[in-house]
Amino acid sequence: MILTLKLLRIPLPMLLDSSSSLLFSLLLAQLPVFTSASPVPQRRPTDMDKLSNQTKNLMKLTQELLREHAFDSDVEPHRFRSLPEMSNRSANDLNNLELKPTLSQLHADLKLYEHHFEWLNKVSKKHHHPALPKLVEMIREMKSLINLLHRQMLRVEAPRLTQATPSLPPHLPYQFDVLQSSHELLQHFKLFCDWAYRAFISLKPKVSAVQ
Amino acid sequence: MGFLRRVAGVSLRDRMPGLLSSPVCLTVICFLSWSLRPSCAQIRTDEVSGVQYGRLESNVTLTCGKSQIRIPVVWHLNHSSVLPWHKVTSDGTLVLLHVDHSAQGNYSCYDNRGLLLHSVKLRLGHPPGLLSISCKVPNHTHVRCSWVDSVKTFLPAKYNASFRGTGQEWRPCVVDVARKHCDVDHPAFWQTIHTLRISETNALGSETTSVRFKLHELLKPDPPESVLVNELEGYPKRLIVSWNFPSSWPLHDAFPLMFQIRYRPYGSIYWSEVYAEESPVVIFDALAGYLHQVQLRARDEVNSESQWSEWSPLLLARPWEVSSTSESPEPLQPDYFLTFNTKPETSTAVTHPRDRHEDEGNLGLVILLVLFSVVILTTVLSLIFVVWVRQRRRDHVTKQELTAMVKMKSMPI
Repeated sequence: MILTLKLLRIPLPMLLDSSSSLLFSLLLAQLPVFTSASPVPQRRPTDMDKLSNQTKNLMKLTQELLREHAFDSDVEPHRFRSLPEMSNRSANDLNNLELKPTLSQLHADLKLYEHHFEWLNKVSKKHHHPALPKLVEMIREMKSLINLLHRQMLRVEAPRLTQATPSLPPHLPYQFDVLQSSHELLQHFKLFCDWAYRAFISLKPKVSAVQ
Repeated sequence: MGFLRRVAGVSLRDRMPGLLSSPVCLTVICFLSWSLRPSCAQIRTDEVSGVQYGRLESNVTLTCGKSQIRIPVVWHLNHSSVLPWHKVTSDGTLVLLHVDHSAQGNYSCYDNRGLLLHSVKLRLGHPPGLLSISCKVPNHTHVRCSWVDSVKTFLPAKYNASFRGTGQEWRPCVVDVARKHCDVDHPAFWQTIHTLRISETNALGSETTSVRFKLHELLKPDPPESVLVNELEGYPKRLIVSWNFPSSWPLHDAFPLMFQIRYRPYGSIYWSEVYAEESPVVIFDALAGYLHQVQLRARDEVNSESQWSEWSPLLLARPWEVSSTSESPEPLQPDYFLTFNTKPETSTAVTHPRDRHEDEGNLGLVILLVLFSVVILTTVLSLIFVVWVRQRRRDHVTKQELTAMVKMKSMPI
């Protein structure tokens, strides 16, 4: 009799256990629904949004580096002959940008800057430049931006341009030379980021049209 | 002149003796001769062979024409024999000593018979000095540079201005001489350094001034335009501010602007601030019943090193008030930020134009939160109930087992 009772009783705690689990599951299932629920529907950032945001972030990092390691000089040393050409880019060009050539050009330009900053990183290590950690962070961000841009290029079938060979100063004997070089590179890169950011936000509607 | 008259008379008389013999014609000729005489004399007496320029506070030499004849001459300034501090050399040259502005005028030299030998206009001044140049960059497509002379030259000048970015070719900066500025359209903006070179040339010399500047740091938009501040009906603590982009700023996605709106109750010294990228903006924490001062300014949103525009003119506005004639209606929704922020230069939340939508959204959020709370509460209560039931069952089972065990023990084996 008791055995029978025991056998009969077994399903009851199981039932209770399963109901509590069910309730828990329900609650857990609701959680993401509630957390994601927002009265204003959030637009998922597009790759172009990510590109522009990352460019802005890079620009911020560059400005911080320039501010933290101020090197007040109006004299342009012209150490770097192979930096991307900015003299042919005017505000009017931003109104008539073509998607594929612009993405390709920006990618090539970024690769060129990457080479320059990696070189700067190498020489800064030798001279124990105080900006080194931030410089490393900047190069990491730059690589991430290049990858993101490359993905976008593949998506819209933009060609990859052949890489120009950077001409870099062979030898920087003094700490002063490193400072001067880093100042020059950062100044150029800051303006490049400004232009690139504007290019990305201008191209956003064109990407939507292509996709 | 008499000679001229005589020649003319002779020739005419020879050709047309009959005509000239008439008294009318003679009268006409006499009149013409008379009327021409003084004008010729005027040309001769006031004849200025040229303009000579001289430096102020220096000695200026005026020669009596090119004649090398050593005859005594008399110099006059503006038909007057009174001359500034001077000396006349033996060859009739006038040397004005340490001249000032009073020495300017028309100088004439006469021979001892009173015959005009030479006349010259003297203008005094300084050679150009360096210019003080400042440039305005109201957008990415236009640069205007103006200048002020460091030396007042008192003389007409010509300016030649050119502009270039690092490593670029010189290109002209179009000069407006009267306003002393020059314009460059569509500069290569994204260059680290630009150079402007202005050469000023006057009769006494030339000077070139060069300045180097960073366009991206000089970028300063014009203030926002068509600024309007209005009440929001039904909201006694709100004001709505709307504006247009400055007309000089390009309306393109590539050139976003950031706007700073500041406001305070009239008479207060503390400003509250709101930042926005789009017009309009709703101020949520206006002081009910008070007149408010509102103004805004703009800056390039991308380039944080650029400059804020000047503030737009101050506007006065009062939030919506219950009309004394009508019954006081309840506000549609409770106002947020009920207390007026008295902290100096503090930022309040950025507001968006979709204000009404947000209000609706907020209501939805509240409902969702309430529903969520109810669900959680129900779940928790159910859990407690389930645990309690389980515990009870367990106790019951234990009791039964104990009873069974006792019974089993009491059974004879």
